[in-house]
Amino acid sequence: MNFLEILVLLARGAGYTVLVTLACSATGLAVGLAVAMLRRLRLPGVLPLLDVFTYVFRGIPVLVLLFMVYFGLPGIGLKVPPLIAMVLSLGLIAGAYLAEVFRGALDSVDATEILAAEAMGLSRLQVLRLIELPQMLRFAVPGMVNEFTTVLKYSPFAYTVGLPEITKQAMTLTATTQRGIEIYLAVGVMYFAIFRILLVGVRWLERHYRVPGMVPA
Amino acid sequence: MTATPLIQVRDLVKEFDGQRVLAGVNLDLAEGDIKVVMGPSGCGKSTLLRCLNRLVEPTSGTIHFRGQEVTGPGVDVRALRQGIGFVFQQFALYRHLTVLGNVTLGLRKLRGLRRAEAEQKALHELDRLGMAEHRDKYPGQISGGQKQRVALARALAMDPAVVVLDEPTSALDPVLSREVAQLIRRLHDEKVTLMCVTHDLQLARSIADQVVFLDRGVVRAEDSVARLSADHPDPQVRAFFGRETGT
Repeated sequence: MNFLEILVLLARGAGYTVLVTLACSATGLAVGLAVAMLRRLRLPGVLPLLDVFTYVFRGIPVLVLLFMVYFGLPGIGLKVPPLIAMVLSLGLIAGAYLAEVFRGALDSVDATEILAAEAMGLSRLQVLRLIELPQMLRFAVPGMVNEFTTVLKYSPFAYTVGLPEITKQAMTLTATTQRGIEIYLAVGVMYFAIFRILLVGVRWLERHYRVPGMVPA
Repeated sequence: MTATPLIQVRDLVKEFDGQRVLAGVNLDLAEGDIKVVMGPSGCGKSTLLRCLNRLVEPTSGTIHFRGQEVTGPGVDVRALRQGIGFVFQQFALYRHLTVLGNVTLGLRKLRGLRRAEAEQKALHELDRLGMAEHRDKYPGQISGGQKQRVALARALAMDPAVVVLDEPTSALDPVLSREVAQLIRRLHDEKVTLMCVTHDLQLARSIADQVVFLDRGVVRAEDSVARLSADHPDPQVRAFFGRETGT
C-alpha cells in the first residue's frame, strides 16, 4: 500500500470531516451573528443572557460539552444523533467565539455613518442591516477564518460519537496495517488540503466583496 | 402678515449631565432662506442642529417644523428626519457603498422607489452637483470636496424641506472651501432652504448676509459680519468676529 492508496482510503472519511466542519461553521456563523446583532440592538433584558451564553460556551471544553450532549442528554430521555451533537457542542462554542469577533468588528464601523443613517430616517434595524452588517462582515474576515480553522481542527472529536471522519478512518487503518507514521502523515496532508480549499474560498469572497479604501474606523 | 417660519425654535435648552449646552435658544428659519450659525467651539452649534431632527433630545423648549411641534412624544421622528437633509462635518458617506449607492439608499429604503427609479433620481442629483461621472466610485476613491458633493446629493435626493450643514468646510482646504461656498450659494439661488453652522467666517460672509452668533448656549447676536465686528455693543462679539476678520 503506497501513500496515494492511503490517501484514497482516508478520503472516505474526508466527506464526514467536511460535513462536520461546514455544519458546525454554519451554526457558529448563524449563532455568532444573532448574538452580535441582539447585543448591538441593546434590547432590554437580553444583554445578561447573551453575556452568560458567550461566557459559558467560551469557557467549556469542546469534548466535555460534546459528551454532555451525546452521552448525557439520553439520560433525560433526549437521544441526539452524532452530527447534531457536534453542532450543539462545537457549533455553539464556535458561535460564542464568533459573536466576540463580530462584536469587535461592529465596534469598528464608523459611528458617524450610523448617525448619518439614523439622521436620514432609517430605523435602527435598517441601519444594522444596511450599514453595520455589510461593513462588519468585511472587517471580521480574519477572525472568521481563524474560527473556521479551529472548527476544522476540532472536527476529529466527531469520531468519539461514531462519525467515521478522517481520524477515525486513520485509526482503523493503522490498527490493520501498523503503518501509523505514513497514515497520520496522510491525515495531516488531508487536513492541510481542506484548510487550503477553505482559505482559497474565503480569500475569493474577500476579494469579491473588497471595497477600495475601506478600513476599520 | 408674516408667513410661519419653516423652523421655529423657542427657548431651547439641552443639558448634558447637568451642564447646559443650549440655554434657551430662539431662532427662525423661513422657507427658501439661509441661516448661518457661528460661535466658538463648544457653544452648542452642532447640538442645536441635532436637536432639530432629534438626534439629540432637547431638555426643554419647543421646535416647530412646518408649523408642527416636533419635540413632543407622539412625533414620527423618522418622518421628521426625512424632511431634514443632514450633511455631516466628515461627510459620513457609507464606505461600503458606491457614490450612486449612497444616494439611492434612502430613495429605495425610505421612499420605496425601485432601483431604476432611484438611480435615475440619484443621477439627476449627482449630475446637478457635477458628480455623475464618479457614480461607480467608492468614498475611499474620491477627494474631500467630492465627498462633500456626494453628501449634499444624498441629502438633496430625498427632497428635504431644509438641508442642514454641520461645519461643511472644516475638513477641506481653502480652494475646496470656496467651491463649497459657491455650491451653497447656488443651492440658495435654487430656493433650497439651508441652515449651516460653521467656524469659517469666509464661508459665512460669502453665503449669507446675516449670521447668528451663538455663545454659551444662547443667541447673542444676529447681524451682518461687518456690523458684528465693528459696531456690536458686546465686546466679546466684536472680538470674535474682529479676530477672525483680521486673519
